[in-house]
Amino acid sequence: MRRFTYYEPESLKEAIALLEKNGETARLLAGGTDLIVEIKQEKKSPDHLVSLRRIPGLQEMDFSDGELCIGAMVTHRMIEKAELIRDKYSLLADAVDNLGSVQVRNVATIGGNICNAAPSADTAAPLVALGARLVVEGPAGERQIPIDEFFKGPGKTDLGAGEILRCIRIPALPQGAGSCYIKHARRKAMDLPLLGIAVIIVPDANMVCREARIALSLAGPKPFRAEQAEAFVTGKPLSEEVWKQAGEIAVGESNPRSSFRTTAAYRRKMIGTLIPRAAAVSLQRVNRAWMKG
Amino acid sequence: MAKTLEPKTKEMEFTSIGQRVPKLDAWDKVQGKTMYIHDVKLPRMLHGKILWSKYAHARIVSIDTSKAEQLPGVRAVITGYNTPEIRCGFIKDNPVLKKDKVRQYRDEVAAVAADTPEIAEEAIKLIDVVYEELPGVFDPEEAMQEGAPLIHEDKGSNVLKLPWKMICGDVEEGRKQADYIVEETYKLPFVTHCCLGTSGCIAQFDAKGNLTVYSPTQIRYLAQKDFQEALNALGLKGKKVKVIQTAIGGGFGSKLDTYPFEFITILLAYYTGRPVKLVYSREEEFFASPGRQPVRAKISQGCTKEGKLTFRDVEMILDNGAYTSWGATTPSVMMMPISSLYQVPNIRYVAKCVHTNNIYSTAMRGYGNPQATFAIESQLDTLAEKAGIDPWEFRMINRNKPGEITPQKFEVGSCGMKECLEAVKEKLQWDEKRGKGNGRGVGIASLIHVGGGARIYKSDGCGTILKLDDFGKVSLLTSASDMGQGSETVLAQIVAEELGLHVEDVDVIMKDTNLEIWDAGAHASRSTFVAGNSALYAARKAKEEILEFAATMLKEPKENLYLRDRMLYSRNNPEVSMTIDKLLRAAHFRTNGRQIVVSEFYDPPTQMLDREMKGNFSAAYTYGVHGVEVEVDKETGQIKILKMVIAMDVGRAINPMAVEGQLEGGGAMGLGYSLMEELHLEKGKVLNGNFLDYKIMTFPDMPPIESVIVETYDEKGPFGAKGIGEPPLVGSAPAIANAVWDALGVRIRELPITPEKIVAALEGKKGS
Repeated sequence: MRRFTYYEPESLKEAIALLEKNGETARLLAGGTDLIVEIKQEKKSPDHLVSLRRIPGLQEMDFSDGELCIGAMVTHRMIEKAELIRDKYSLLADAVDNLGSVQVRNVATIGGNICNAAPSADTAAPLVALGARLVVEGPAGERQIPIDEFFKGPGKTDLGAGEILRCIRIPALPQGAGSCYIKHARRKAMDLPLLGIAVIIVPDANMVCREARIALSLAGPKPFRAEQAEAFVTGKPLSEEVWKQAGEIAVGESNPRSSFRTTAAYRRKMIGTLIPRAAAVSLQRVNRAWMKG
Repeated sequence: MAKTLEPKTKEMEFTSIGQRVPKLDAWDKVQGKTMYIHDVKLPRMLHGKILWSKYAHARIVSIDTSKAEQLPGVRAVITGYNTPEIRCGFIKDNPVLKKDKVRQYRDEVAAVAADTPEIAEEAIKLIDVVYEELPGVFDPEEAMQEGAPLIHEDKGSNVLKLPWKMICGDVEEGRKQADYIVEETYKLPFVTHCCLGTSGCIAQFDAKGNLTVYSPTQIRYLAQKDFQEALNALGLKGKKVKVIQTAIGGGFGSKLDTYPFEFITILLAYYTGRPVKLVYSREEEFFASPGRQPVRAKISQGCTKEGKLTFRDVEMILDNGAYTSWGATTPSVMMMPISSLYQVPNIRYVAKCVHTNNIYSTAMRGYGNPQATFAIESQLDTLAEKAGIDPWEFRMINRNKPGEITPQKFEVGSCGMKECLEAVKEKLQWDEKRGKGNGRGVGIASLIHVGGGARIYKSDGCGTILKLDDFGKVSLLTSASDMGQGSETVLAQIVAEELGLHVEDVDVIMKDTNLEIWDAGAHASRSTFVAGNSALYAARKAKEEILEFAATMLKEPKENLYLRDRMLYSRNNPEVSMTIDKLLRAAHFRTNGRQIVVSEFYDPPTQMLDREMKGNFSAAYTYGVHGVEVEVDKETGQIKILKMVIAMDVGRAINPMAVEGQLEGGGAMGLGYSLMEELHLEKGKVLNGNFLDYKIMTFPDMPPIESVIVETYDEKGPFGAKGIGEPPLVGSAPAIANAVWDALGVRIRELPITPEKIVAALEGKKGS
């Protein structure tokens, strides 16, 4: 393991300056549950480690003007415990519920999960489905990146030199939306998904699909929306049969790979199987929300 | 002894035996106070590190260590070229530092001792090795073919000259008698131990050249002998070796052999003249600590219309990896279920161990038994179905019985197979739940294992020294090893019971080859039985001395005296009562007095297997039955274990809590083996050497395990007990495979039973 210098800047500005000064030899440290392991395994060997833990504001969650704003340093455990998220963004709560273990969720952050850009990141597919925007600060000031433009491939993001994710802005879902994320994994804890399926359904009063969003992770090199499947469902009655067909269409839009973890064939089959299941859960949640309202 | 098992009077009721005593080492362990090898620091201690091979098979052209030697803080750099040759493994085919060629990714090419672990690691990177890659062979069947690359040229063949063969009766005759025959092939994966404590040791020479090795080994006396050979190689013949056993952070057989890293540490300590510590990282533990060998088994069994088994015919190929450790001898244990699980008159078993460029294997909980039992017990269900007999009935028809002599000449004493089968049937609600299909199913599998030691070496003995002090406390020096299985507690209970003391009065000492007597090691589920009997007989000697002294002092007939609850009493004279500590002081502080110290060496009444691989090699046999209920998602192939019942005939549960711990721990390990564990090798290289990708069960994954303790009071066991360390893992996989069959009608013949395999099998079924 290479030795590194550790910094705890107290403002984003200071952190950006450290990144600018040290360039490629510096890495940002959020929860560290990925990075520290990679440093120990010598997969990454930064000379400078810039921690974000003392920067004020990054650990805040805010819901106002109809948008949810989650600070980059908000831990998965905080998200898991946030009633508002469980209620209004159920798929995001699903995503953190089985991420790692409680110990991991206590330190791992949503910003780290996204910026690490692992294809297996549990929050990626839900955030893609939610149409999140990433608020990034850098040497040239602030900019917002739509999440589907943020991921550039395994381990690669749109973040430029010296840029730091500040928060994730999530637009409110339309009234009556129901959502679900299915993490398909071998184990119930301490595991990465073999496949991540995020579904959001917005029905009209006659249970015809007004809007559907389907986002998949590990179904290709980066998380994506299954747009053809979404288009197919939209305007149709929300029946099991329709969703089965949507699942098959999404299979056609996917390009999963084989590894020792599982086979491409199994992943494809599970895309077709799990999309209707995620839709069924989403639909149940729609009903529940309506009954509440 | 059988007569004393059932208490007849109040004084004979047990005070320690049968009590739920929490493990004595638990408090220190959960508070982080236990000293593992990782915690041990010696003055002037250096840190060792090994340079592993970069290839699965390659010629070593040159090794340049000059840059590493010049790094400040480096105290020694050794290779096979600047050290005397030392070979390890029971056929000595594994040079501890490789010269000329490497045969697997975990081959040790060089090693460094340095002031800090960081410097050692940096120095390793500065060693320049030039290799010339050779074609490798990674499949044992390919390795057996003509023209396959030879792993060891000097052996002339990749097939080990260790042919395993056992014939009982006449298999051809058995085939003729059979009305139904099933023939199948089963495949078992490479899995590994995943001990929480990684492997490691510290070696230290004194000024006179005597060696001390601190090690969490399971075999301190056999290791002592192996290390003695290293001294001989160093020209230190006649010098002494002492092995000090540090707390073992788990051991399921991985610490049952000595390995190159230990000899390398000894060499580094020798050349630096300083203590050297070498401990594996988790990554190293995954690829450099040997696991359970992959097996391909061709098996056929037949039965009559009435369901009586007529023959069992098994052929196996084992991937031995590049070198030979105990993995190559696991067929000797596979023979046990093949010959003696159920009554089968005609048996044929042949096995070949084949070298490949894969990493090599060793002993692991069950020692071949899980692989063999997976094939046997899975196939029994298929055969039962063919014969139209309920699989539970089928097992009852063929079950083993107390007192029988099996075709391999095992003299079965106690045997609770029937009780176990009945208990599992009831707990699983077999009759209601079986045969419903539709994604839910139940399955069972039985097992046999040695429960009374195993005569693998000419001595299967274990020694005990008991020292009774002036305060009524006992030092129990046992040569057993507790690697988490609870021997410490069980032995303390046995001695406390026999001496009328409390468990907390007994200090168990098991750590130093200089202090304790001798033992064959913690293997073969033998500690409770062998170390237990040794402790029991030692305690009887001590009791005899105490009572004799008391009889003289108190002028009471010795036969009337007994010890209980730290007191001496007389059966006939209520006036007689004295605390044991006072009695011990009286025996000590007088003219010609002495403290009571006794010793005992117990070697069970067993035989080594003869040339035909037959003989009664254990003094008792443990039986058990696994039962599971599963729910399988037919679309995703995911298996949910709704219930797992493990019923084990343990003879007597000396500590029911500890027995349950073994049953649950073995069950968890068995579930992992059945459902998710597999070391993936690609051309000899481990792809998933971490806890994310090498999957063992986590707490949330665990189903409820119901433990059923069946007690048959084996007359040879201490208070009737038999060994139980390994069996709870053995039957898990076939029970699950059988439950999956009941649920879906598909037969998975390859572990682990993954969702992918189930989905593929269901598709195959649909297609056919």
